[in-house]
Amino acid sequence: MSLLLCRQEHVKRPYFMEPMGIHLYSSQELSYVIFNHPMLVLDDFVDERLLTFLREELNQGFLALKLERWLKSGESPDEALMIILQECDYYSMSEVGRFRQMAAALRKKHPADFMRMKADELFSLGQYGRAVKLYKELLDYPPGDHVDDLFFARIWNNLGSCYARMFQLDKAFKAYENAYKKNQQEIILERLYDLSRIDNRLALNPELQSEITEKQQKLWEDKLIRARQKARDSRQVKELETLFQQDSVKRRAGETELICQWKQEYRNMA
Amino acid sequence: MDGLLVGVDLCDEYTQINCPEEEMLWTIPTVICRNKNADEWYVGEEAYGHTLKGDGIIVDKLLNLAMRDGTATLGEVRYGGKELLLLFLERILKLPQKEYDKTKVDRVVFTVKRLDPKTNRMLREMGVKLGLLEEQVQVISHSESFIYYTLSQKKEIWNNTVGMFDLAEAGLRYYEMKVQRGMKKVTVVAEYEDREEGFSLDILKTGSGSRLADRIMTSCAEKIMARKAYSAVFLTGKGFAEQNWADGLMKFLCSKRRVYMEQGLLARGAACRAEEEPGDNTSFTCICDGRLKTTVSMNVLHRGQENNVTVAAAGDCWYDRVSVIDVIPDKQSTVDFIVTSLDSKKKRLISIPLEGFPKRPDKTTRVRIQVLFLDERTMEVTLKDRGFGELFPASDAQIRQEVML
Repeated sequence: MSLLLCRQEHVKRPYFMEPMGIHLYSSQELSYVIFNHPMLVLDDFVDERLLTFLREELNQGFLALKLERWLKSGESPDEALMIILQECDYYSMSEVGRFRQMAAALRKKHPADFMRMKADELFSLGQYGRAVKLYKELLDYPPGDHVDDLFFARIWNNLGSCYARMFQLDKAFKAYENAYKKNQQEIILERLYDLSRIDNRLALNPELQSEITEKQQKLWEDKLIRARQKARDSRQVKELETLFQQDSVKRRAGETELICQWKQEYRNMA
Repeated sequence: MDGLLVGVDLCDEYTQINCPEEEMLWTIPTVICRNKNADEWYVGEEAYGHTLKGDGIIVDKLLNLAMRDGTATLGEVRYGGKELLLLFLERILKLPQKEYDKTKVDRVVFTVKRLDPKTNRMLREMGVKLGLLEEQVQVISHSESFIYYTLSQKKEIWNNTVGMFDLAEAGLRYYEMKVQRGMKKVTVVAEYEDREEGFSLDILKTGSGSRLADRIMTSCAEKIMARKAYSAVFLTGKGFAEQNWADGLMKFLCSKRRVYMEQGLLARGAACRAEEEPGDNTSFTCICDGRLKTTVSMNVLHRGQENNVTVAAAGDCWYDRVSVIDVIPDKQSTVDFIVTSLDSKKKRLISIPLEGFPKRPDKTTRVRIQVLFLDERTMEVTLKDRGFGELFPASDAQIRQEVML
């Protein structure tokens, strides 16, 4: 239990953390991102842009110089991340040690697994467009011991989820179809069923339709009803309803603001 | 520095001005007068003169008028108290400028009987209006002036307790000062007491009145000074402009003590203070009216080690002390302050829980701590959620708490 004293950092131009779509304003935030999202920083993270941020915005000229020399020395680039964590003084030495072990373990992963984990990380951060790019690259991987049907089924499934969250339902439907071909999991069939119920342009082929039992269909219909009800009761929908009840001037202003917000959110995820 | 350094003892009754190492002392009644027929202003004795002549309208107690945001109507024009005080100060500051042939003023130190944030702010603002920078204007208490004046004297004068009686029309105040030699730094503590024995100075104009005043003051001094060792006693204020009424008092005081009658002591003390650069690390810690008597600190983690960070130190001016620190709690849901009394023996832990702050993963809440003082015994702490950048945006959560020191 303690209080960490924050360095006075007057950042005017924050560091844009592209894979996450956010700006970083302090050495603590930088350390946090490195420690909690290793998949996003293990490759080519320490570059001239980061060094400029450290030097000019965080006033960490010494650290920037140290990193520069380290990179020129040709030693492990992962060690540069440890140097940042140590110098920024946000994590304790034991925590930095833990990160070192974690980074080493990740480096031992199969390249396909490593890339999948990175794509999954982007998915969990809502960066669906970036995740799609990696999942597609993974689909081009030559099949082998590690990259088997189960692996591809997982990639197709995740790809489908990315598209679904970007409202590209036709692409999502095709991806789920491919996933189902590889592993015939019930959950994927359910997703296909849901998509066909949400968008009437998407129809299950007779083969898939025949695989759905009456019991399953009833259960999934109930779930869909509950999900729709939950959406109708959500805070966002209530706020929208309130907005629509306001006079035309306020309503238009609110709508504009909301659309801008949605557009921004969509741009970030896509 | 080639400009003037000025000490001003600003009271409602009269104002005194002195410059460092100069014997010259100006004593000006704190009044201002406007000519009935022209836009001309007079201060002090000149103001009385024009009023008696009948061509001027006078306003007195200017400090009080300004402090209570009062107004005065002169020649059908209503003036704010602050405006009148500013006119007064503008004119009286010209006296040393003219005397020493210097137009530039480098620093003005005002000393006042009752120091509070409002007085401090008002006089600093007036200094700025008079063409000074804010840091060139300081406001101190009479106790602090007393300390600075005394310490500017030979060591034998202050190597033990020093007492001072300030007898004015407004009342009698007794000051006492002690120098405590510590391991690290010398600490000077001055306190005062407003005594009930004060009397109208008009009684000194008659023989019987003078004898009564002498008896009152002697009895008061006996009560205060019994069984205490003094290295010096000062007598100041208008009441001691003449001492022929105080035979009994002088007889009592002068027994085994050095006694000095010093007019303008407080203005001289302010002038001594003006010689010091603001923010200078003085060789002593000054504990008096307007200064903190306790140190407030926090234990924080820096470079893996626990360090004690001082938020406000004993001897800091409480009225313009604002500390702002950003911290990140690590498995901790409170912000803790350590309050250490002057003798460094008594330590008290003040713990403020971060109630109402959003629940976030550990070490992802930056808390801005702002500490200021409402008076020398009351600390106001504000804890504000600053979030953690765009990762965890700041909320409106804020806690404001007053802590009695």
